[in-house]
Amino acid sequence: MITRRMILGTLSAAALLASTGFTLAQDKMYIPLISKGFQHQFWQAVKAGADKAAAEFGVEVTFEGPDNETMVDRQIDMLSAALAKKPAAIGFAALDSQAATPLLKQAEAAKIPVIAFDSGVDSDIPAATAATDNKAAAALAAEKMAALIGDEGDVALVVHDQTSRTGVDRRDGFVEWIAANKPKIQIVAIEYGGGDHLKSTEITKTLLQAHPNLKGIFGSNEGSAIGVANGARETGKKVVIIGYDSGAAQKQAIRDGLMAGAITQNPVGIGYETVKAAVMAAKGEPIIPTIDTGFYFYDKSNIDSPEIAAVLYD
Amino acid sequence: MNTSPQNSKASAPPASVPAPVPAPARLAGGAQQKLLAFASLIVLLVGFSLASPNFFQVSNIMAILQATSVNGVLAVAATAVILTGGIDLSIGTLMTFCAVIAGVALTWAGLPLPLGVLAAIGAGALAGLASGTFVARMKIPPFIATLGMMLVLKGLSLIITGARPIYFNDTPGYTDISQGSLIGMVLPGLPVPNGVLVLFLVAGGMAFVLSRTVLGRYTYALGSNEEAVRLSGVNTNAWKMAVYALAGAICGIAGILISSRLNSAQPALGLGYELDAIAAVVIGGTSLSGGRGTVLGTLIGALIMSVLTNGLRILSVAPEWQTVVTGAIIILAVYADQLRRQRG
Amino acid sequence: MRDLVCMERIEKRFPGVHALKGVGFDLRAGEVHALMGENGAGKSTLMKILSGVYQPDSGRILVEGREVVLPSPKAAQDRGIGIIHQELALMKDLTVAQNIFIGREPRLSFGRIDEARQNREAAELFASLNIDIDPRRPVEGLSIARQQMVEIAKALSARSKVLIMDEPTAALTDSEIAELFTMIGKLKSEGVGIVYISHKMDEIRRISDRVTVMRDGEYVGTVEAADTPIARIIEMMVGRKLGDETVDVPDLRDAETALEVVGLTRGREIRDVGFSLKKGEILGFAGLMGAGRTEVARAIFGADPREGGEIFVHGRKVDVRSPADAVKAGIGYLSEDRKHFGLALGMDVSDNIALASLSSYANRVGQLDEGAMRRTARDFIARLGIRTPSDRQEVRLLSGGNQQKVVIAKWLLRDCDILIFDEPTRGIDIGAKSEIYRLLADLAAEGKAIIVISSELPEILRVSHRIAVMCEGRLTGVLPGGAGTTQEQIMQLATDRSGLGQATRQEEPA
Repeated sequence: MITRRMILGTLSAAALLASTGFTLAQDKMYIPLISKGFQHQFWQAVKAGADKAAAEFGVEVTFEGPDNETMVDRQIDMLSAALAKKPAAIGFAALDSQAATPLLKQAEAAKIPVIAFDSGVDSDIPAATAATDNKAAAALAAEKMAALIGDEGDVALVVHDQTSRTGVDRRDGFVEWIAANKPKIQIVAIEYGGGDHLKSTEITKTLLQAHPNLKGIFGSNEGSAIGVANGARETGKKVVIIGYDSGAAQKQAIRDGLMAGAITQNPVGIGYETVKAAVMAAKGEPIIPTIDTGFYFYDKSNIDSPEIAAVLYD
Repeated sequence: MNTSPQNSKASAPPASVPAPVPAPARLAGGAQQKLLAFASLIVLLVGFSLASPNFFQVSNIMAILQATSVNGVLAVAATAVILTGGIDLSIGTLMTFCAVIAGVALTWAGLPLPLGVLAAIGAGALAGLASGTFVARMKIPPFIATLGMMLVLKGLSLIITGARPIYFNDTPGYTDISQGSLIGMVLPGLPVPNGVLVLFLVAGGMAFVLSRTVLGRYTYALGSNEEAVRLSGVNTNAWKMAVYALAGAICGIAGILISSRLNSAQPALGLGYELDAIAAVVIGGTSLSGGRGTVLGTLIGALIMSVLTNGLRILSVAPEWQTVVTGAIIILAVYADQLRRQRG
Repeated sequence: MRDLVCMERIEKRFPGVHALKGVGFDLRAGEVHALMGENGAGKSTLMKILSGVYQPDSGRILVEGREVVLPSPKAAQDRGIGIIHQELALMKDLTVAQNIFIGREPRLSFGRIDEARQNREAAELFASLNIDIDPRRPVEGLSIARQQMVEIAKALSARSKVLIMDEPTAALTDSEIAELFTMIGKLKSEGVGIVYISHKMDEIRRISDRVTVMRDGEYVGTVEAADTPIARIIEMMVGRKLGDETVDVPDLRDAETALEVVGLTRGREIRDVGFSLKKGEILGFAGLMGAGRTEVARAIFGADPREGGEIFVHGRKVDVRSPADAVKAGIGYLSEDRKHFGLALGMDVSDNIALASLSSYANRVGQLDEGAMRRTARDFIARLGIRTPSDRQEVRLLSGGNQQKVVIAKWLLRDCDILIFDEPTRGIDIGAKSEIYRLLADLAAEGKAIIVISSELPEILRVSHRIAVMCEGRLTGVLPGGAGTTQEQIMQLATDRSGLGQATRQEEPA
């Protein structure tokens, strides 16, 4: 009985501490960032950029996001909880803009400026958007792929998600560029691996089996790209791989020549610019509505150049 | 499920009863089900082979086997727990947690390979023991207890790693655990990846435990009628905890397999793997209410799932339809089992 | 009287069993027609066909002269055929009224349930049956007898013209049985036809008009209850004559005391119960339902906790906290509810016999010696006369008597020399009963100490060397066994409430 009471006591004490934690945070300007994810390396890099800006401008930044990019409802809950704390401004990377519209209107009514980041929000409510142009970035990946396979042959895509903005944009950006520019390149398969390394590995092995003449594969995010590289290594087949984002494994694969190259966004920049814009908006300063945080193609040759190394993460 | 010869009860004189029944009659009890599952597997294999020349090739069969290895090992772990009438939802994230522990032991602490492997398996056994304690001693329903464990372990993996993967670049030979091929070294024509070898060893070991040992017999008995076992003077709590711990240790093996496959412990993976494993168990004919089922059935169930995913992809079936077909097959497999059961 | 129901040449096969071989049965309006036969004779199967649970392979069913097909229990209900199952099928968490109207709830608009009307109609129904149950209370917590009343009310509320009762009195006290019979009389007078399945001869004589006997899936015959001697009915059931056997009380004055219980107490259920049991003795425990006999047995066995009291086995005090402790001390408990507490039904005979002794068949790494287990099982099959096609047969396919023998074998194998039998012949047919009695006597003769809990007084008198009687948690007295003791003496003690709060009397045998 004593132990049970002790457990209950500890729990309620913890709950008390947690609730006081929030009130303490109110002293500084408070800016919550609701992202699309949290555990992925990419988001950790965004968070690093946000933290850097937070330190620089002396504001309190929190960073949270759902477990995976299909959990629209979880993200809406997070946004609604963040709004309830009456923040100075809010950073938001929408998984589904439509679903978030009512809450964004609520933010607008409460005069809380919203800064969209990563993929943007389909709405005129956000004061600014700090994002990578995913379609243009994927088009660059397609262009590099075309050059590496000699402008003809079969190509496949392993995409991380079928419904999210980034998944759709990167897929369409790649496919549309090929269709418009390289009629001799066939896109023979588009599979979705959820960004799961193991699943993407199995998909790649099957693709190589099903299409023996496959010349290139595009992996649309870190997990997908690593999966593609793994699958190619396990089957031992030669195939041109273009990845996306960075991370230690992907960087290693590029150094080893297993992967031809990858698109990198500027996640640190996204985080930094989002917080910076939020602070400015909260103070009522004018801001540029579209902040292009940029993207780069990197391969063995420029991976260690200062410009690229600065935006890569492990 | 009545496959043993059944004479009219009243006419069998008591003295002349001992009728010789083939030794593995217990296995034969589930034979019909396995025959059904096995037949479905063959049908799928033949069907895909006819539909695409790229399907039935050594390299693809090896790919299918390897794709089964992680899910198969998890499904074997799930089988034991499900046989007791319980369920373990934490196996997916426990696998990841064990992979992380292996990473901590090998990459961070620089321990030798065997110790790292032992650490992962030990961590799995301890976590399983914890689940078992919640279920057996604290009487928390297995669904709830392991749902809790699933989240706790997922969180712990992220906390320990700081949400960053741990790589095994400093541990030579780690990737060989699943990707190398001992069999291939002996028989060059048969490059069976070690991961598959591990799956078969784990499955064989579990089949032995379940059919030939006290632990196994109590596993079935607990699922069949726990109260009757307790009233037989058996310490049911301890045995149940042992089953969960054993399942946890096997999740540790799965953790080694997946991390050696990816050369990294990915802390965010694992969620959803438990459902694939449970699906394999169910397709293999194990009853979710416990007491009935075999490891061989589970193995076939896991193979059916990977053959299906692989074959549909090779046929370039649209990804959204792949999931529809997989779901339909699960329902169909269990329905076929129901039909067979009703017919007796 | 015209036939309410007529079943003709009903055939039913299950895999490996020819359950019904061209059986016929008819029921008239306003009669009680007893259906008798040993377990496995096919009574329940026949009635499950009549109530739409099973489909016959061939044969005809006529209800009020018209041929019908009954593909589901619902279809049977719609034809006015209701069944009250032996295992009551009520939903514990729903109220009495909700149970009665399940599937036929009176509706309001938008699919809402008219709870008020439901409760009112249930109350009216109970009033007409002279039963005092609050329709709004949950079924959970009602006594078995009351639950049965609810089942009957449920069947009647569906306007049943045919009511099938499967061993309705198995769990009832005498006063409850009397109540039930009054109700049956009332239903009869209203023209309801009742099929009454029971093993109890005295009941059959009291209430039934006709008796149909089945054996091994075959129809044996139908007789008028009033002018057929019981011995004749039993003869029809078992296919041979049974002698009237009585108990021989052995002289146990010099026998060693095997079990002594002192001051066993738990709340209101067990109040300061103490007794002793000698080697080779069969101590009967008599009393009404709820007198605390099963509670005493489970407390001794460690299946339930106890608040006070000491247990001595062979003179040594043992601390029993769990069934595992009790088994270690050599105490075995055979529950009244074999299916829930005694057997792993899906496992085979060999496994069930070895269930309490598995570790003795294992080597150091826990591997089982399957061969030895099966040899042991075959020994017991032969020794106890367990009728099973093989030691690999799943126990759920055995008859009740043979299942009971499997449980007995389990404890004998575990070397338990103190055996507690709780209702050892419940659900077991007459032929097998006398076999169990003989087995009990044999075990006692071998030196086992045996407690038999039974609600059937003839059974207590038939097997006990001494008879302990309980009432409301107290041991109200111990009577000597043998021909000198009468049912009246036992009943007097079983209803003796005078000792409430006083110390328990205890008599030693003369």
